[in-house]
Amino acid sequence: MAGSSLNNFIKDVRGAKTLAEERSIITKASAKIRTKLRDDHLPLEKRRKNIQKLLYLYILGEKTHFGQVECINLIASEEFADKRLGYLAATLLLDESEDLLTLLTNLLNNDLNHPNKYVVSLALTTLGSLGSSELARDLYMDVENILKGSRDPFIIKKALQCIGKLITKDFTLLDIFDTKLITSILENHSLCTHGVLLGINKVLQSILLNHETFQLSLSNDGYADDSKPLLNELVKIIPELLSLLQSLSIKNFEPEYDIQGTCDPFLQCESIYTLRLFFEQTLDLSQYQNKFCDLLTQIATNTDGAKNCGQAILYETARTIFSLNLEQPLRVLGVNILAKFLSQKDNNTKYVALNTLLKVVDQEPETVQRHRKFISKCLRDPDISIRKRALELSFAILNDVNLVEIVDQLIGFLAGAIDDDKTLIVYTVENLVKILESHNISDEKWKLSILFESLKLAGTYVTSDITGDILISINNSKDTIQRRNLVVDMLMISLDETKNCEISEDNIAWLIVTIWCIGEYADEILEDPSCRQALSETKMTNFLVLQDKTFNISNKKLINYLLTAALKLSSKFKDSGCIEALRQIILGHTKDSDLLIQSKSVQYEIIFAQPQSVKKVLLETMPVFERRKCMKVGNTSPELKKIHKSTDKSSNVALLDLGSENDKKKDTEVANSSTPADLLADLFSSTSIDENTKNTSRNGKTVQISVSATKIYDSDTIQAYVQLISCDAGSAQIELYLKSSKAISDIKPFSAVPRTQKLTLGQLYPGNSLQKDEVCSQVLKITGTGKLKLRIKLDFKLNGVPVEQQFDYKFEQTL
Amino acid sequence: MEKPLRDIQMTHIKYLILASRQGKVRLTKWFSPYSPKEKQKIVKELTPMILARKAKMCNIVEYSDHKVVYRRYASLYFICGVMPDVDNELLTLEIIHRYVETMDSYFGNVCELDIIFNFSKAYDILNEILMCDGSMAESSKADVLKHVMTMDSMEGNDNLDRVLS
Repeated sequence: MAGSSLNNFIKDVRGAKTLAEERSIITKASAKIRTKLRDDHLPLEKRRKNIQKLLYLYILGEKTHFGQVECINLIASEEFADKRLGYLAATLLLDESEDLLTLLTNLLNNDLNHPNKYVVSLALTTLGSLGSSELARDLYMDVENILKGSRDPFIIKKALQCIGKLITKDFTLLDIFDTKLITSILENHSLCTHGVLLGINKVLQSILLNHETFQLSLSNDGYADDSKPLLNELVKIIPELLSLLQSLSIKNFEPEYDIQGTCDPFLQCESIYTLRLFFEQTLDLSQYQNKFCDLLTQIATNTDGAKNCGQAILYETARTIFSLNLEQPLRVLGVNILAKFLSQKDNNTKYVALNTLLKVVDQEPETVQRHRKFISKCLRDPDISIRKRALELSFAILNDVNLVEIVDQLIGFLAGAIDDDKTLIVYTVENLVKILESHNISDEKWKLSILFESLKLAGTYVTSDITGDILISINNSKDTIQRRNLVVDMLMISLDETKNCEISEDNIAWLIVTIWCIGEYADEILEDPSCRQALSETKMTNFLVLQDKTFNISNKKLINYLLTAALKLSSKFKDSGCIEALRQIILGHTKDSDLLIQSKSVQYEIIFAQPQSVKKVLLETMPVFERRKCMKVGNTSPELKKIHKSTDKSSNVALLDLGSENDKKKDTEVANSSTPADLLADLFSSTSIDENTKNTSRNGKTVQISVSATKIYDSDTIQAYVQLISCDAGSAQIELYLKSSKAISDIKPFSAVPRTQKLTLGQLYPGNSLQKDEVCSQVLKITGTGKLKLRIKLDFKLNGVPVEQQFDYKFEQTL
Repeated sequence: MEKPLRDIQMTHIKYLILASRQGKVRLTKWFSPYSPKEKQKIVKELTPMILARKAKMCNIVEYSDHKVVYRRYASLYFICGVMPDVDNELLTLEIIHRYVETMDSYFGNVCELDIIFNFSKAYDILNEILMCDGSMAESSKADVLKHVMTMDSMEGNDNLDRVLS
């Protein structure tokens, strides 16, 4: 039986009891196929069977390169079954880079002109998926001829898809592209099946997306010409597209294309996207603008948003409105569509809505605000991806007016968070601390209570950087009475054995803050007679001794804080027993295996022995710390991941200042016997240096302009540098640096090279927006021949306003 | 991996992976160029990630530099990589559903075994539904089935010719 050997093979593989057995079956089969394929006299039917087995191996993720030539042999066969399998195998096993593609050119050429339309269709599909730029150039005309000659929607559809792909492979094809190809099809309604229309959309999208590069390459070659003949021709198609879309959105029932009462969502979405690309071009389309806006409104009202297919169309509509930044009423409409998604049960719509709202919150802040209720509801969603987005969006819409409301919701989120949410918890606390700092909050008590509350709820997870930030916030609090009250509350919980079970044992951050607060504020607290009962010197000392025992080895960071607290208390406590106990803590670490702790305790021990008058000055309460600029979130809220990676360098430093660095300075100070004032000066100067060296750090990645790079362009906003990394025969690699002197966003560099060359662009690194004096870079690879020259056009947004700059540069090198 | 900027904005599915509940791969189709190493990495990382998700969670996952839309049908997961910000995730779900429906009509109550043993048919159907770059090629299910079946019968005719000659 014909198919049996493949079936048996599949059964054998599936029947394997162990991975090892499966492996051995696969290896054996693979070797067998390899030998069989080498045999030139194998009958075609057997060859087909071997290729089928090979495809199964491909699905299993095995190596299949040895069958590549065989695919081509099958394609060359005259039998349809062979051709079909051969083409299928070719699209799967071969890829664009293979040298074998040249072997394909002739076969494809023959089959494109084959009398059987299915053979032609197979060839078109294969050309589309494998087409390298050479294949694209060689065979484009054949495809165009098929399009011109055929009256069969099936073939026309396939040819259109193929042309769309070929243009992306080689944009210079636009030079010979004839818009009549499309218009003549549109004129003949009997040809316009939905498949054909999808194909037309694809070709249009492909042209619109590649046109800019094409135009640049033209002007680079000296054909400076600002008129865009091709686009101006294509614009005439817009009315056609509009009326097509309109009829789709009204049409109620057409069984072939109907999905749950919606007419062909696929074609509707593709058409909206094509139109969007048209309106994104720098063309004067004002005559169609109103019609398009009306149509979007109509789609938004007519489409049934209860089912996924309708939602897909509504989603596309909303995205288009924001991407084109259409007029305000439409933007409100867009936000309302998305808000409706949020209110529904379906998780997918919630996810896309949150995701999109996050992007448009800058464009329409007020309207997004109105849907706060739904957003905060998503904070409690069972799906973590939705909670994550809802958190980001909560921070993005936070402002002075809703601050208290949203922060309370976020605390509610922390209270209900589960272990899975670790990264979300850290993200929330990190941003809460920043928010509390960056907004002007008059209610100091509320602010501090939020800090303590988040510590209590999330201290187990937060990083030491955040702990440091919280300490700074407490330290800098202006209302010392409120601060004292809250610290007392905190100590009441920590020091009372009946209450400290409220705090998780792993809540290190809470402990560190408690320890630090004892060291800093013990004297203030004990001055208050009402506290003296519950909180005595002995209780605090016992607490510290207990922590020392518990974390002696397991947590060195905490010990650092503990030592400093013990030292500080030595000048604050009066009870000699307590003071001795504190001394013992420090003494106990003078032989610590950790070198830093060891040296620190040895030095502390010396200070400990100093007379009270000397110590008083040294161990005074910490001064107010200056915050660094980076403590800012809110409307610019970048995505969670990014914030996460960036863990601000400066808060890192702040922590060191509070914890160990500070103490080290004190130590050196003892040695040099300089004054405390100098010490502070020192401290702050070290942080300011840190700020200067901060440079272009984003997401923890930095780009620096190479020293050997040449400046090729300079305007008041942006400077460009290039560096030639390599230049061999036929290929060159160039690094382009962009340095900005103002904060800009949405940077899009378009580069073009002479026509004899081909350009491959790398991605913009580290991202497409720059702060002042930041640098981003992009790698350009050029292959081909001729003089090396570049034309670069920069699109970016300065304060939200699009700016366009263009310049040329000629290298001395020639390819 | 470096790609030309312009390639990035086309709407299309980057790849489609069919995986069983046990994590076995049943079908893969790569619409964007990936090296064999990258393919392996994606399959290896993505399948357990998707399988671990609970039924109530949304069908969109962020993975690496792009998004992944998936849907489970009985024992089989249909997993698609898409371009963030360009592709319409909800529409991708419709595309997956259309693929499943079409196979269902073709095989008649399609199940995982049909796809395992007739993977080349599953590819044939896919090639009629999606374009070579992974976007929707034909929104009529009837049209897709008609052409796949005509081609099937042409293969049969080959055999017939051979017997007759």
